[in-house]
Amino acid sequence: KPASPNVLPGAVEDTRNMAATLSGEFADLAQIKKQLISVIAQCKERGLVHSVKASELAFSLPSLPLDEVPPALPLTEEDALDLDALCLAKSYFDLKEYDRAAYFLRGCRSQKAYFLYMYSRYLSGEKKKDDETVDSLGPLEKGQVRNEALRELRVELSKKHSAGELDGFALYLYGVVLRKLDLLKEAVNIFVAATHALPLHWGAWLELCNLITNTEMLKSLSLPDCWVRDFFMAHVYTELQMIKEALQKYQSLTEAGLTKSTYIISQIAVAYHNIRDIDQALGLFNELREQDPFRIENMDTFSNLLYVRSMKPELSYLAHNLVEIDKYRVETCCVIGNYYSLRSQHEKAALYFQRALKLNPRCLGAWTLMGHEYMEMKNTSAAIQAYRHAIEVNKRDYRAWYGLGQTYEILKMPFYSLYYYRKAHQLRPNDSRMLVALGECYEKLSQQIEAKKCYWRAYSVGDVERMALLKLAKLHEQLNESDDAAQCYIIYIQDIFSCGEQLEHAEVSTALRYLGQYYFKNKLYDEASLCAQRCCDYNDAREEGKALLRQISAVREQGESSSTDLSLPIVFNPLSNTTTPVRRVAPLDLSSVTP
Amino acid sequence: MASVHESLYFNPMISNGVVQANIFGIKDWVTPYKIALLALLHEMSTTKPMALLDRRRLNKLILPLQQGPDLTFEQLLSTVEECCAPMVNAVKLRYVCTLHCSCPLELFTESYRTWSLYMRQMLLAYNKLSFSQVYKLYKTLQQYCRQGQRPPRDFSTLELDAGSLHQSDLGCDEARGPLSQKQAEYFLARQAYLLKNDENKAMRPATLQEELNNILKFNPDFAEAHYLSYLNSVRVQDLYISTHSLLHYFDRLILCGGEGKSNGDEGYGRSLRYAVLNLATLHCRFGHYQQADLALQEAIRIAQEANDHVCLQHCLSWLYTLEQMKGSDSVTLTEDSVKMAAHFCLPYLASLGVQSLVQQGATQGIPANRLLDALRGTDVVHWKQSLSELVEISLAQTASIWRLYGKSTMAQQQVQLLLGMASLESVNYGVQQNNTEPFAIALCHLAELHADQGLYGAVGDIIKHLKQQFPSHTQHSKLWMLCDLKIQFEKAMNSGKFHLAEPHVTAIGALDSMEGLYRKAQLLRALNQMSEASKILQQVQQLGVKKRNTEMIIRVMLATAELHWDSSGFSASLPLLLQALTLTHTHNLQSLESETILHLAFTQLMLGVPEQALALVQAVLESVLAHGALLKKGRALLLMARCQAVLATSTMQYVTVEMAVQTLAEAAVFFTQLGCKPRLRDVYYLQARLYHTLGNVQERNKCALLFRLLNQELPPGSSIAATPL
Repeated sequence: KPASPNVLPGAVEDTRNMAATLSGEFADLAQIKKQLISVIAQCKERGLVHSVKASELAFSLPSLPLDEVPPALPLTEEDALDLDALCLAKSYFDLKEYDRAAYFLRGCRSQKAYFLYMYSRYLSGEKKKDDETVDSLGPLEKGQVRNEALRELRVELSKKHSAGELDGFALYLYGVVLRKLDLLKEAVNIFVAATHALPLHWGAWLELCNLITNTEMLKSLSLPDCWVRDFFMAHVYTELQMIKEALQKYQSLTEAGLTKSTYIISQIAVAYHNIRDIDQALGLFNELREQDPFRIENMDTFSNLLYVRSMKPELSYLAHNLVEIDKYRVETCCVIGNYYSLRSQHEKAALYFQRALKLNPRCLGAWTLMGHEYMEMKNTSAAIQAYRHAIEVNKRDYRAWYGLGQTYEILKMPFYSLYYYRKAHQLRPNDSRMLVALGECYEKLSQQIEAKKCYWRAYSVGDVERMALLKLAKLHEQLNESDDAAQCYIIYIQDIFSCGEQLEHAEVSTALRYLGQYYFKNKLYDEASLCAQRCCDYNDAREEGKALLRQISAVREQGESSSTDLSLPIVFNPLSNTTTPVRRVAPLDLSSVTP
Repeated sequence: MASVHESLYFNPMISNGVVQANIFGIKDWVTPYKIALLALLHEMSTTKPMALLDRRRLNKLILPLQQGPDLTFEQLLSTVEECCAPMVNAVKLRYVCTLHCSCPLELFTESYRTWSLYMRQMLLAYNKLSFSQVYKLYKTLQQYCRQGQRPPRDFSTLELDAGSLHQSDLGCDEARGPLSQKQAEYFLARQAYLLKNDENKAMRPATLQEELNNILKFNPDFAEAHYLSYLNSVRVQDLYISTHSLLHYFDRLILCGGEGKSNGDEGYGRSLRYAVLNLATLHCRFGHYQQADLALQEAIRIAQEANDHVCLQHCLSWLYTLEQMKGSDSVTLTEDSVKMAAHFCLPYLASLGVQSLVQQGATQGIPANRLLDALRGTDVVHWKQSLSELVEISLAQTASIWRLYGKSTMAQQQVQLLLGMASLESVNYGVQQNNTEPFAIALCHLAELHADQGLYGAVGDIIKHLKQQFPSHTQHSKLWMLCDLKIQFEKAMNSGKFHLAEPHVTAIGALDSMEGLYRKAQLLRALNQMSEASKILQQVQQLGVKKRNTEMIIRVMLATAELHWDSSGFSASLPLLLQALTLTHTHNLQSLESETILHLAFTQLMLGVPEQALALVQAVLESVLAHGALLKKGRALLLMARCQAVLATSTMQYVTVEMAVQTLAEAAVFFTQLGCKPRLRDVYYLQARLYHTLGNVQERNKCALLFRLLNQELPPGSSIAATPL
């Protein structure tokens, strides 16, 4: 099938443009709704319970008048033959008696029955695997437990596949089997084929998304041109941390008329969470909870946001609510863990994260969060273990790498932690927190040049904690590079005031104090007195400010007044954020002024 | 405080939500293979009449079978068949019997005296099994048996379209189950031992890594596998994976260390210190000196905070190694390290320090008796503590020192001693000779010593052996490569085939830049490109001073003196030679000393004082003939003959002339052995002239003919004056 023009390999710019454009089919939402209704019915018949969630989207669209509701697909002769067996098997299937279902379906011919036959065999294998994990023969065998049915399924499906007898659903199952057997390359091909055969089946898209590791791979795939593809692209962008593109895509989806979809809202909220736009994300999550108050999915992310903002009552309310809905869910446990952590009851928090892990050992977030809890409890060795587990589950978990770095830093091993911070930095090259951490380590190792580079880079990529400049300034101060130090303090002060909000750890007073002294030494008395006056606004610097003012007036009495016409106060000089600090701040020849 | 939380809230045994059997302290579990092994053991102990040889073979088989990875039934039976054919059917029968009784182990309980421990372990493991697990065991037992009975593997039902299915996908897992913890530990220990002592016998890096990944897949908590992966990736110089594995290992170890000991905190802190220290050594190996320095400082700091003297001593010994690698003076540090190590009773570190001191002392001209005394002192400690590794190093070092001093016989004796010594650890795993650095060095010495005596056939054999023992991808292969190249270079230069020597220069330069430059200068001089040669020699001189390589400095001085001769600046070469002589004296370099004296004698001969020259040559002749290389012996004799000839022609004494002819004949023997044609030509020329003086026409003509033949063979450019000494 010809590749649609949008997915041809191209520059990054292409993806940017692509993110904004949508498939033309969004013009006819009623058509989309019809397609959705029919595919939901098909999924339901085949027991694909998760794909039925597409009804979320269908629900968000305006309902259709009676005559337009699509009729059920007409039955073929084969379907009619298999009807009774299928009915019986489906009921067994729904009761999770998979082997029994498969037994009654073994002679059936129709596509639907064949899929259900294979699918129940697959699920039976999976179920047995899960049961077996609990009592395997020995500790080393636990990785060995596998779904025994997979190999047979693969052989049968590949036979049918080469004969071209597989429909969209069967292709999807074949892909899943291949993925479970770790044959990822083949699996990708099959999933692509599955999306072509049945573009409306979201499950195939989702599986495909999990297998895509980078943008190049994404661009090389030839995907069907269908409105579902836009959802898929947005989802992939989120997974690949290309948040900007993802947001653009979701934005245009909502604009196309899908405003009410809870799925889209939750996805946007998660995306905002990933780029740490906390306010936006919080707003969206609140909206989501209004529309869908019994939702448990994504609530762990919501609780993370509440945690970061220290919104205790909201978090507590959320925790209460979720426990009422279902207390044996991973998300619920994570929310409760976060709640206890915020209340500084770290032992209990760790307990809940452990519970989450028992429910789902591959739950990445819980491992990392548990590591954080152990850190709070000063149990470094347990924290290291927890972080390591997180990394084993997902090597790209930058928070776990960062946590490991922090742990070793606490153990006073800055060189050792460098490796971990570097790993974290590799995964998030534009996150200032890793850079600041790296800088601190270098500073401890007295590698000032590297430290300076790190701090400056942290500032350049947009410093979230607004600490980098201050640290850079102090470093310059230590190295007696007073001009550079002053420059950094100036930018720091400008930064703090321009962002408007009050930061707890802001050290404006330190900066002002230093600047006052700096100007005084360079005999810029007007600027010095300005700084000294501002110093007096802060408790910790008041005395020094006053002392400096006295000194200035003493000097002024001795000589004439300082030069007022020589330069503008430097604090108010326009400074662009992108330039590096210049070596000399104010190249002034003040010899004429000196008495 | 920390350990309380640990035990309450973090139990590694319930990680991943699965309670591991490990929690009961059982490291083993029942598999069909083990049942089959039990059947074998049972049969062995119950069948009384058995050939003694068969029984012995079977007994030898048991331990590897018990420790090794699980085999298929087929494999097991065929192994048994090799030792004792009638046993196979008995084992098969016994195994099938187990399928038909309620407990597969009960058949064996009657006679479990001889192998009770293994049996008990199996029983314990079996008793822990739940019903479903026993059922599963039963199924696998059946399957195992069936595999053994069907002769070729039968996948016909599965492999319908073999084109897209890989054999490995289907087949591999049936044959090889995961290793039990015991088996995995044995595997790791063995591989690690082999990596250290005989890399060739260890698995190939890629296969080993695959195996390790496999172990880690089944049990990610098996920290030792990470360490072996670190060793393995260091072997192939993979910085990325080795760092990753090392850190991963210590991240894992930190918890295990704390758990095993009664004093949890101590073990935990200790592994932290060693983690940083190991990181430092890693950077050392890869030549990242600054990084290594930072890591080492960190290790020292936390070791100091914890008052861990042993760790501090290890740090100190690495500190001086690092300084040495960086090329700065580390004698004081090393001395401190030796003193402290002796104080804390760490014999290994102490003698390692002494050996390092001896090595530095040898290049810096410490008197020989002190060095050898020091080595002998440590040797006593080595034998007492059976530190076989250090014994080997010590022997190789003694050999190197003797060679440095120019005592080839002593050097050869030490080398033979090392090679002939059965390694102390050779009892294990049938490793006859350890493939460690000392052996490589010793063999290189042996090759060079043979090359000196012109025994190129033997040299070839030794190099071949080295190539086999230390393949080019291994750590110590550079040693023999350099040695081989040097020998070939010398050989080509001696026989006047300069075009052959040229590629060797480049290759030597790649392995050792200073040596390469020196050889390049030699080649340029032979090709009459004096100014270039002189420039390069100056460069080498500076490098030698920087690296404190006295031997090289002296060799450069001699080469510069030779350059002066070529431009007839004989008097200019004198001060250089005298300076070289003082240096050789202070550093006990006897071989270079005699070389310098020969150079001096030649200069004097050229300056017109043949009596003095002759006296000088005669003074060193004894030591040259005793210890020198063939070439040097020949050159000394040739020089003596020249002096004698000059003296004889001036005084017209026929006796002296005849003596000179005699000396020349001796020199000719040496040069012929070595295939050194340019010098042989000189000898014939001189002989012909002398016979002419004596009036012996027949002999003169014979020599002249030989001269002419050689002269035609050699490149036309090289005149007689090209080989002054």
